[in-house]
Amino acid sequence: MVVTTTYDRRPTTVFPMTKRIDFEQNSEKALQNAPLQATLRTAMVRFRALRISAVEEIPDWQALRQHAHDTKAHALAHLDRYLEQLERQVTGAGGVVHWARDADEARNLITRLAGSSGRRVVKSKSMTTEEIELNDALEHAGCEVTETDLGEYLVQLAGERPAHIIAPVVHKSKEAIAALLSEKLGVPRYDDAQELTRVAREALRRKFLEADVGISGVNFAVAETGTIVVVENEGNARLATTLPRMHIAVMGIEKVIPRLADLDVFLTLLPRSATGQRMSSYVSFLTGPRRAGEADGPQELHLVLLDNGRTAIHADSSMRESLACIRCGACLNVCPVFERTAGHAYGSEYSGPIGAVLTPLFEGLDVAGDLPFASSLCGACGEVCPVKIELPRLLLELRSRVVRQRGAPVAERLFVWGWVNAMKSARRLAIAGKVARVVQRFMSAVHLPLPYPFSRWSASRELPTPPAKAFRERTL
Amino acid sequence: MTTARDVILTRLRQAAGPAVPLPELPRLNAPRSDLISLFIERATAAGTEIETSSVERLASTIIDELTRTRVNRVAMWEDRLLTQTRAALRATPLEVLDPWDHARESVAGADAGITIADFAIALTGTLVLDCSPAHPRSTSLLPPVHLAVIPAEHVVASLGDVLTRTGPLPSALTFITGPSRTADIELTPVLGVHGPTRVKVYLLT
Repeated sequence: MVVTTTYDRRPTTVFPMTKRIDFEQNSEKALQNAPLQATLRTAMVRFRALRISAVEEIPDWQALRQHAHDTKAHALAHLDRYLEQLERQVTGAGGVVHWARDADEARNLITRLAGSSGRRVVKSKSMTTEEIELNDALEHAGCEVTETDLGEYLVQLAGERPAHIIAPVVHKSKEAIAALLSEKLGVPRYDDAQELTRVAREALRRKFLEADVGISGVNFAVAETGTIVVVENEGNARLATTLPRMHIAVMGIEKVIPRLADLDVFLTLLPRSATGQRMSSYVSFLTGPRRAGEADGPQELHLVLLDNGRTAIHADSSMRESLACIRCGACLNVCPVFERTAGHAYGSEYSGPIGAVLTPLFEGLDVAGDLPFASSLCGACGEVCPVKIELPRLLLELRSRVVRQRGAPVAERLFVWGWVNAMKSARRLAIAGKVARVVQRFMSAVHLPLPYPFSRWSASRELPTPPAKAFRERTL
Repeated sequence: MTTARDVILTRLRQAAGPAVPLPELPRLNAPRSDLISLFIERATAAGTEIETSSVERLASTIIDELTRTRVNRVAMWEDRLLTQTRAALRATPLEVLDPWDHARESVAGADAGITIADFAIALTGTLVLDCSPAHPRSTSLLPPVHLAVIPAEHVVASLGDVLTRTGPLPSALTFITGPSRTADIELTPVLGVHGPTRVKVYLLT
């Protein structure tokens, strides 16, 4: 069966549009999609179990989280210094460092580097290049761009966007993938994952062998040594950074860490939080381009340092810690809202609790002001975050900013006004309680829909019959 | 002219608040004894095959493996540990690709790649491979089978041990934990999506 849904996504032009992200409307589509609900639930349950067993193995886990938090806090407080050090070290190792203020500047820069029309570009998974919508710009310039992470490749073939940081194609069934590969590559509809993967491997291996440019993201950049760290399971990032003559690595400026030795902690936290693995299959420490006499590796290494709103978040002291995120996806996997809506509802490449914080900061509250409300504030995200970002606090802070900007709805203000007045004395509370019970008994007896805004609550719930006496009347 | 670099750095400096101390590096609670059996357990769990061997038996063990799996072309590193193996392979009908024959197409056509590993990390079952003219990157990446040789005394407890023992970094330091894998299609684990389907370690005791 083919899962076809249209999601609210930003347009595929190179000019980003500021369309309000309607989380409620977007999530409605996901909620109506029964197969998606089933797949998501299985995936999330599996991810959570894997993470827990990998974390339990490390007795120092909490100390490591604290260390990672403190290291990131330090690196962010002295970000200017570490970026300059990183630049010196990368340059010293033979790489070239570029700076980009915004998505537009980054796209132009990378398109210029990738060069003339007809260039073949292979990409390994990178949230940052999704963020700047790089593929559209490269294709616009006449390059052939291939996403090479299996999930990302399938998403690209389908003309969609990733649904999950770590599992981009979690929203598609095997049958949907078989139909997609069959249609796009002219192969039979294979019915097992092994065969489907083999088909993709063969198609992608050819792309790798003829590629001119490899583009990757960056998980960590070490200021001390100028080393770019790339973490993956498939080997496509290794191929993209080994075979083409040019490697372009794209990173947000917040990814820099001070010392090589800090990686001991970060590489213990990241794979276990992301996929529940002790270590991802491949971790590459890349320091400069290929050296004299070496048989492979890129002849040119370019590192693009992207701001695109990060300096503004950095200057916002109560939001700064959101820049510590290492993109593991653990907060998505424990979030009861994400488990039902999936990533597309968030209208951005960053979804789940961290997306509900980052997207409003990147795009503005007028565009993404709904997102901080897409949370039950259960706190699970903050509990699992390997760098101890206080996600619930950040969500609450953004909510109060949204309310200050938009103002609360009349109904909400009326309700609060009534509440404040009812709570001012015991007598008023008793009277209000009596009135409420009478109304509630009547409403639950007649099964009428409640008036707005209560209708939104009662749309999927029965109004319970109230007890004859209030709790305080029974105990007094 | 103001550059993007100046603008970004200026913004960061203007926003810089109070200094925040850099924490001391923690000592991870890593085991210090019986690292070899821990490495074997964890590497096996990650899908790596392990065979113990000795320097003397290595060449014949590898040739047995290559013959058994019907390998025709093998790409291999130039290394002191592999000298005898290379000499023995030359005496077989197998085609051997030296580091200077590592054009991408030829390595992609090899059935197996033979490398050494600088270190093995017991806690995670990870191999650590460096890179140099004699040690190309693609030997462990393009062929469907990767055979790696490591002396048992190079098994260390944690990544931290590797980081403190590594001298100046090579252009690529690669950490390999099991075969290439994906679970992108309905969470079904599949091996060998882009890199090798099989990784086999010869632990020299």
